[in-house]
Amino acid sequence: MKIFWSFTRQAFQFVAAYRFNFFAEIFLILLRMYGVYWVWKILYTQRPGAFGVDLQQMITYGVLGMALEIFMWSRPQMYMARQVKSGAIDTDLMKPIDFHVHMLARSLGETLVALGVLAIPALAVAYFLLGVELPPDIWTGTLFGISLGLGYLVLFHLNFLLGSLAVVTLDIRHISWAYYSVVRFFGGQMIPLWLFPPFLAWLAAALPFQSTYYIPMSIYIGNLSGAEAIQAMGFQLVWLVVLVLLSRLLWSWAHRRLVVQGG
Amino acid sequence: MEALRLYFKLIRISMQARLQYRADFIMGILNIIALNAINLGMIGILVYRFVNLNGWEIWELVFLYCLWLLGHSIFSLFFWHFWELEEYLVQGTFDQFLLRPASPFVQFLGREVQYIGFADVFVAATGLALAYVNLGLHWGIVAWLFFFLVAISGTVIETTLTLMMACISFWTGRSSMAVDLIMEFNVLVQHYPIDIFGSWFRVVVTGLIPVAFMNYYPALILLDKLDRNSVWWLGYLSPIVALLLVGMTAGVWHLALRRYSSSGG
Repeated sequence: MKIFWSFTRQAFQFVAAYRFNFFAEIFLILLRMYGVYWVWKILYTQRPGAFGVDLQQMITYGVLGMALEIFMWSRPQMYMARQVKSGAIDTDLMKPIDFHVHMLARSLGETLVALGVLAIPALAVAYFLLGVELPPDIWTGTLFGISLGLGYLVLFHLNFLLGSLAVVTLDIRHISWAYYSVVRFFGGQMIPLWLFPPFLAWLAAALPFQSTYYIPMSIYIGNLSGAEAIQAMGFQLVWLVVLVLLSRLLWSWAHRRLVVQGG
Repeated sequence: MEALRLYFKLIRISMQARLQYRADFIMGILNIIALNAINLGMIGILVYRFVNLNGWEIWELVFLYCLWLLGHSIFSLFFWHFWELEEYLVQGTFDQFLLRPASPFVQFLGREVQYIGFADVFVAATGLALAYVNLGLHWGIVAWLFFFLVAISGTVIETTLTLMMACISFWTGRSSMAVDLIMEFNVLVQHYPIDIFGSWFRVVVTGLIPVAFMNYYPALILLDKLDRNSVWWLGYLSPIVALLLVGMTAGVWHLALRRYSSSGG
């Protein structure tokens, strides 16, 4: 717990040190929200109430997706790749803390800071300017919170698995754009899964990515509720357990194969 | 002429340096193709469900996206490292350029080629060819000339805007966020016709950060969608906008060099 707070403090100090970047970053998020707002607004004038969701809900979904872009801020896989490449990974391994836990604490700290200083202020602006809605009731809000936490953990473990591969293949830099595109697309960050054509919808429903954006955000706008919401959260939990186990396995395998170049 | 000879020599050296990493190259190409396929897939899903986007059919949107990408592809092949100007300044690499008896600009220009830009060329050409066929376009020689002029103007617009933003680091030491900002406007303009947005956005991407001249305005002319926007004739101004930006960038660059003080790297 103490380690986690020290990473949070470190991430916060980083943001505070580069104040111009902070304002530019908020502006970028607002610009993306603005873009998504107009796309849905125009599409809904063409076809009001499409697929049983009204315009207000759709805008809320889209804007929330842009705010949660901050999930992609913390990139433990890049950190791992960098440490392996430079050889500095050996100092990480010597620390008296499990490496997996260390990465989680670091990533969680960074994500919470980004959530607090970027996502929430941007959402507050969007609430006043773009007419984003609050969750319909406190129960829905609570479910959303839990589901969002699970979604974050699923994404973290996918990143961690990729980072473990970096230990073996040494370079993952060039696949990272495609990787994040896949997360965005199958995660339903911008386009919800109910709009996907049948085959893609079926594929997206089987993959873990929908845990990160689609499930929490659908719960937020009330499109997944009651038993359906609980079932979706069960899906998140199952994937999380699978990914944690895979992470432990892959990391211990990669750890054994780790070759430190000088360092 | 001497500068041009030097530039080609530097480019050849940069290419040789890049070619050492064959696997990197292939991964990079696949990465870019996947990225674009997913972006186009998203636009495709929206149109699949809503038939069109504010009157733009799927192949018109593909055309818009790929026209931007064609201009961008030449930027990403030869000028991508303009993004990293701040690294050159912070690490002191830039000092080398000033010590040698050749134009610092030419040396900076020839420093890198980004092979992966070939993927952009490939995606853009494929998308444009498919759009051309599916939209049943029949351009005469003048339209083709205009098309190529627009693509080159697109490259110039993106390159000059990026370089001007990157030059901020001569004053502040950091510029990557400013460059990112330009890119974000680019992304919106590439993906969606700007007539769906509110008026302030259209004013910004026309007058302040004129990225709409890379694809939107010329596309109105090339796709014969003149009724979409009363200011469609702005499309003919793309090359002029590009030239104006070149002039401005040259001014900024000279100011910046005079301002330069080494970080002592």
